[in-house]
Amino acid sequence: MRTARPRLFPIAFAASVLLASLAAQAADPVAADAQQRLEQEMGRLRQQIESMREQLESMQTRLQQLKAQNEALAAQQQQQALKPAAAAAQPGGISPDLSLWGYGEIYYDRPVHTPELTEADLARAVIGIGYRFDERTLFNSEFEVEHAVSSASDRGEFEVEQFYIDHQLSPIAGIRLGLILMPFGLLNEHHEPTEFYGVKRNYVEKLIIPSTWREGAVAVHGDTPIGLTWDAGVTTGINLKDWNFTPSAPFYRTSLDLEAADTAPLQATHQELEFANAQHLAQYVALNYSGVPGLLAGGAVFTGKAAVPAGFPEVRATLWEVHGRWSAGGADLSAVYARGNFSGTAPFNLANVGASNPLPAEFLGYFLQGAYTVWEQGGYRLSPFVRWEHYDMGASYAGIPPGNTAVPSGPAPDGRPWPQPRDRVWTLGASFYLTPHVVLKADYQRFAINGDLSSVDLGLGLSY
Amino acid sequence: MFIPSRIVFLPVAALAAGQPAQAMVYLSIEQAQELMFPGQTLTPVPLVLSAADIAGVERETGTRYFAGALRAWRATDGYFFVDAVIGKHDLISYALALGADGKVRQVEILEYREAYGGEIRNAAWRRQFVGRAPGDPVQIGRDIRNISGATLSCQHVTDGIRRLLAVYAHTIAGR
Repeated sequence: MRTARPRLFPIAFAASVLLASLAAQAADPVAADAQQRLEQEMGRLRQQIESMREQLESMQTRLQQLKAQNEALAAQQQQQALKPAAAAAQPGGISPDLSLWGYGEIYYDRPVHTPELTEADLARAVIGIGYRFDERTLFNSEFEVEHAVSSASDRGEFEVEQFYIDHQLSPIAGIRLGLILMPFGLLNEHHEPTEFYGVKRNYVEKLIIPSTWREGAVAVHGDTPIGLTWDAGVTTGINLKDWNFTPSAPFYRTSLDLEAADTAPLQATHQELEFANAQHLAQYVALNYSGVPGLLAGGAVFTGKAAVPAGFPEVRATLWEVHGRWSAGGADLSAVYARGNFSGTAPFNLANVGASNPLPAEFLGYFLQGAYTVWEQGGYRLSPFVRWEHYDMGASYAGIPPGNTAVPSGPAPDGRPWPQPRDRVWTLGASFYLTPHVVLKADYQRFAINGDLSSVDLGLGLSY
Repeated sequence: MFIPSRIVFLPVAALAAGQPAQAMVYLSIEQAQELMFPGQTLTPVPLVLSAADIAGVERETGTRYFAGALRAWRATDGYFFVDAVIGKHDLISYALALGADGKVRQVEILEYREAYGGEIRNAAWRRQFVGRAPGDPVQIGRDIRNISGATLSCQHVTDGIRRLLAVYAHTIAGR
C-alpha cells in the first residue's frame, strides 16, 4: 500500500483535466460535430486497415503455398533431369523397344530404241522390324516384296533381306549374327532409294557387287576414336552348282531387266541363306575411314571356296573393292572400283563347250559420280548428277576352246544379237527431294556397247 | 569345324574383355556434365516456351519442336543441354555445352541405339559445331559436312543442335 499511494495524485489530476475538457467540448456544438466526423473517418480507416491486413495474410498464405509447390517441382525436376534423355523422349506406342521402318521404290523405264519394252515396276517394298532386348542386344530384320506380286506364276519375290542380332561386346566392338548385309561398296548397306542417285542402282554395285548382298554370318565390327571402322566375318559362301550355262534366250533386253535378272557372276551364285550350301564358308574384312568430315574412304575383301557340282575341282571365289566419297558445300563426289574372280573355271567351261553363258574367270566394274545440290528450300532439294561407269561381267574366261566365243556370235531366238556382258554407261539425271525421306528421280542412261539398253527412267523412292 | 581362312581374324575374346560399361549408352548425363563443365555444380534451368516462342523456334530452324527430352542446366560459365532426336529409326541422345556467350563449346553423343550410322560419335564430325552461335547457319551438307553411311543421323543431330540454339535464344538469352 505504501508503494501505490504516491501514484494517486497524477491520476486524479489527469482525470480532472479530461472532465474539464469534455465539459468544454459539450458546451461547443461545432467542435462536437468535427469530433464525430473524425471518429467516423477513423472508423473507416480502421476498416480499411483491417481489410488490408486480411488481404496481406491471404497473400502470405498463398505465397507459402506457391513456395511449397515450387520446392516440390524443383525436387521433381532434379530427379527428372538426370533420367537418360532417350528414356524421357520415348513417345510410347506399342513398345519403346520396338522399331518399325520401311522403304520402297517405283520405276518407269522406257528404252529409247525399243519403246515397246517400256515397263513400270514397283521394284521393291520393304518393311523393317527391330527390337531392342536390352541396351546391348538389338534385333533387326527387313522383309521385302520385289516387283509387287510374289507367287509361283509371277516374277516377284518375297525375301528376308536382313535378320540378325547385334550384340555390343564393349563400347568399341560388337558382334553380329544372322543374315547380314555385306559391308561392300557405298550402296550395299545403305540401299534405300533416298541414299543413292539415279532411278536404278548403279551397275557396278548391282552386277559386280551383288546388291543387296547378304549372307548368313558371324561377324565382328567396331570403331575407333580416329574415325576408322572395321568389320570382319565368317559367312556362307558362293554356290556354282546352279550356274545356267545354256540359257536359250538372253536374260535381259532392257536395263531394268539387266538389274533384275540376277544373272551376273555373284548375283547368280550368292545364296542369301536359302538352304545355303554351307560346306565351305567364306570370310570377309572391311575397313572404312571417315575421320575427316565429308570424307569416306574404304575397301573390303571377300574370299572363300565355292560349292561346285560333283566331279569338278575346287574353285575359290573372291571379290574386292575400294570406294571413296567426298561431300561438302553441296557437292557430292563418289567412286567405286570392284573386281572379282573365280579360280579354276576352265573345267566348267570345257564341260559346256558352246555354252551361251560360260562361267567367267574375272569380272569388274568402276564408276565415277558427281552430284551438286543446286536448290534447297525448306524440305525441298534438287540435286542433278552425272555418272560414268564401266562394268564387265566377263572380263576374262578360261576353257573357251579356239573357235568358240564367250558370247554367241549368231542372233538370239528373238532375231537380235546376244547382249555383250560389258558396257560403258553415262547416266545424267536429277533427284528432287520433297522431304529427306521422299525423292522423285529422273535420268537418261546411254549404253555405249549395248545401245538397245539406253533408257529414260523415272522413279519414286521413299524411306521412313 | 576347320575353316580355311586367308584372312587373319581379330581376336574376338580380347574385344569382349574390353570395358564393361553399357556400350550403347556411351555417356550418362552426369558423366557428360563432368566432361563438359569439370568440377562445376550444375543447376537445372526450367525451359518455359510460350506458344509464340515455339512458333519462332520452328520458323527459324525449319524443325518441329519436341519438348520430350529437352532439358537444360546452368553452369558457372555456360549452359548444358540434353536432347534426343530420331536417327534413322531410333533415338540418339546428345549433350550440348554452350559458353556464357551462347556459342557451342562441345557436343557429345550420349546414347546411340542403331546398328548403322554410329560414325557421328567421331570427334572430328562433332567439332564442326564448335563456335556456332544462335542464328548462325547450321545446315547439314552446307555448313556441317555429312558422313556417308550416317546421313540421317548427321542430318537429325544437326537439326537438333540448330533447334537447341534457337531454344536458348528464345529462353535463357532472351530473358
